[in-house]
Amino acid sequence: MSSSGLNGLPIRLEGVTKRFGTHTAVSSLDLEIPKGTVYGLLGPNGSGKTTTIRIIMGILLADEGKVELFGGPPGIKQNAYVGYLPEERGLYRKMKVREFLIFLGELRGLGRSEAQKKAMDWLDRLDLTAWAEKRSRDLSKGMQQKVQFIGTVLHDPEVLILDEPFSGLDPINQEVLEGIVREFQARGTTILFSTHLMDHAERLCERVCLISKARKVLDSDLKELKRRERKGLVAVEFEGDDDWLRGPEVLEIQEVGDETHLRLRDGADHQAILRRGVAAGVRIDRFDLVEPRLHEIFVRHAGEPEKGESLEPSWVGAGEGARP
Amino acid sequence: MKTLLTILRREYLQRVKSRWFLVSTFAAPLLFVGVAVVPIIVEMGREEAQRSIALVDRTGVLAGRVEPRLEEVGFTVEVAPPGSEDSLRVQALEGNLGGYLVLDEDALARGHLTYYGPRGPGAIRGMSIRGVVVQSALEVRLAEVGAEVDLEALFAGGSMDLRLLQEEARGTTEDEPEFIGVFVGAMMLYMVILMYAAAVMRATLEEKTSRIVEILVSSIRPSQLMLGKILGVGSVGLTQLAVWVLCGVLAFSLGLPALFASRPELANPEAIAQALPGVGLLALFVTLFLGGYFLYAALYAAVGAMCSTEEEAQQAQFPIIFLLFPPILLLMPIMEDPHAPWAVITSMVPFFSPVLLYARAGAGEIPFWQIGASLSFLYLGVWGMAWVAGRIYRVGILMQGKRPTVPELWRWVREA
Repeated sequence: MSSSGLNGLPIRLEGVTKRFGTHTAVSSLDLEIPKGTVYGLLGPNGSGKTTTIRIIMGILLADEGKVELFGGPPGIKQNAYVGYLPEERGLYRKMKVREFLIFLGELRGLGRSEAQKKAMDWLDRLDLTAWAEKRSRDLSKGMQQKVQFIGTVLHDPEVLILDEPFSGLDPINQEVLEGIVREFQARGTTILFSTHLMDHAERLCERVCLISKARKVLDSDLKELKRRERKGLVAVEFEGDDDWLRGPEVLEIQEVGDETHLRLRDGADHQAILRRGVAAGVRIDRFDLVEPRLHEIFVRHAGEPEKGESLEPSWVGAGEGARP
Repeated sequence: MKTLLTILRREYLQRVKSRWFLVSTFAAPLLFVGVAVVPIIVEMGREEAQRSIALVDRTGVLAGRVEPRLEEVGFTVEVAPPGSEDSLRVQALEGNLGGYLVLDEDALARGHLTYYGPRGPGAIRGMSIRGVVVQSALEVRLAEVGAEVDLEALFAGGSMDLRLLQEEARGTTEDEPEFIGVFVGAMMLYMVILMYAAAVMRATLEEKTSRIVEILVSSIRPSQLMLGKILGVGSVGLTQLAVWVLCGVLAFSLGLPALFASRPELANPEAIAQALPGVGLLALFVTLFLGGYFLYAALYAAVGAMCSTEEEAQQAQFPIIFLLFPPILLLMPIMEDPHAPWAVITSMVPFFSPVLLYARAGAGEIPFWQIGASLSFLYLGVWGMAWVAGRIYRVGILMQGKRPTVPELWRWVREA
């Protein structure tokens, strides 16, 4: 599909609010996803990720605020440029894999022979050619998920929107999927995915948005976020006396196995400590500014991701105010 | 539009290619025909000897009438003089003769005869023989008193011309409507509409429970999705009806003549022709099928969309069953009295009219304006139902969990 006629940011949300009865699922959310970015929508279960994505897809209507896909209102027309993998994804159990993929391709505006060709190419890439004429219900869960993913990308979308794409995949298929996401990233495809699994987000995302209890708590470039969240933790390995570690910059010294962890005062310069050590003639094997794991940042801002409270049972009430 | 066709095509092809469709479309009529034809074919083997019979007429007046009539229904008849019974018995036992009939005074008095043979003539042939003897005996008796009677017509059950006195009611001047044909037609309408409308509910539910629907509604409007499914399933229904009509036509043009050739006693083409609907009634059948199907399919689609499981849907469709009772309860009465005021009114109600209007139109000529009004109401009902169902569908299809209450449904319809 050509990108001609697509202007503006792939995805832009401004002050979007969505309520189900008395429960607010998304609260004045702003989001801007630039072209070619891999963007992670992070948050505990029930924090509003799926609702946000459904609003972007035009499946739900926002109560307040503005949503734009490629500078236009969301809906069927814009969705032709989007590859959408919902969290609740299904197959027609009795349909043959190849027929199912052609059906999805046609639904997204491909011609029949084109859809057929692309479907077979993808099945070949993911080692599923032998299963093309099998019914979906005869496939293993992992294979079904691969088929669902093929259905998502069949029409070469400009934007990929993946809702919890890694959940339920075994480690091998997680890696396969990560590889494909990277490939689309290299092609310049804009990718928005939601997850509560921080490892994937950490490896794939250029930017992350963290939402908790319907509100955005963080929205930043991942590298910058990590730099900002460092909180002055230094891991040191050395041989000799530890007097050089003590100084006005250091708040706390802690022995962790072979390592010594230093917690620095805010704004303190770690270079001063390093200079003291060199002057004292200590042999320093390692002097490491510890980057916080995304997991820690997540917990710090949103509480334990795995134990996040589930405020919004993901489908109940989802229909109210659905697309006109 | 293109996506609508994609949905329609998938729905149609998946169903038409399914084993269930093949079985119900082709196996059912085959089975039906088989039940009728197989015994005849089996019987062919013993045909020749069985069909040749001898006739011993001790009255002296019946043979002349009985012989040609028996020949007419497929027997080879040899008239034997009284006293030759012994040699006939030998021939029959040797297998050269199917059997022989003896007619005496009892035949003239009360239609009684005796059939001698190694085996009985079979139920249907026995009936033909008795009929022939009774008719001949009556003719002889009536001739004795000099009465002129068309016994053929009397035996066929007579006939009735219908002349309606009101000018407006005079649509056609067909003779006596065939009760059975109309009744079967109305029941068929009822069942076919129900069968396919309920299939729409299951199809909707399947997409919901398999969670494919969220992928679909990101590429097609829910109302279009619903329309595509209804049209797809409806096309399957029309295909099945077409196959059946074709089978019927083939059976009549090829099967029946072959059947009559082998068993002329079954032939009664007039009765069969009378049981078949005319072209006008057939057109009404199709129009009513489409209207009724769309009406109920939209209703069922809404039910499918508001439920999450098959069990829930079974319960939720209960109110629809109530809509289906009146036409069935009223079917017989309305055929008895198609012009009663209550008959006119109930045949105008969209949910009842598919069955009842057909029954009225078949049972007696009804004014064209009533057909026009009933069809208009029906199709208006379809339009309104589609509007309401579309709104329920749009909201319900993404819902999981608790089934909505009636006030909630009303809110969906209002706000969607």
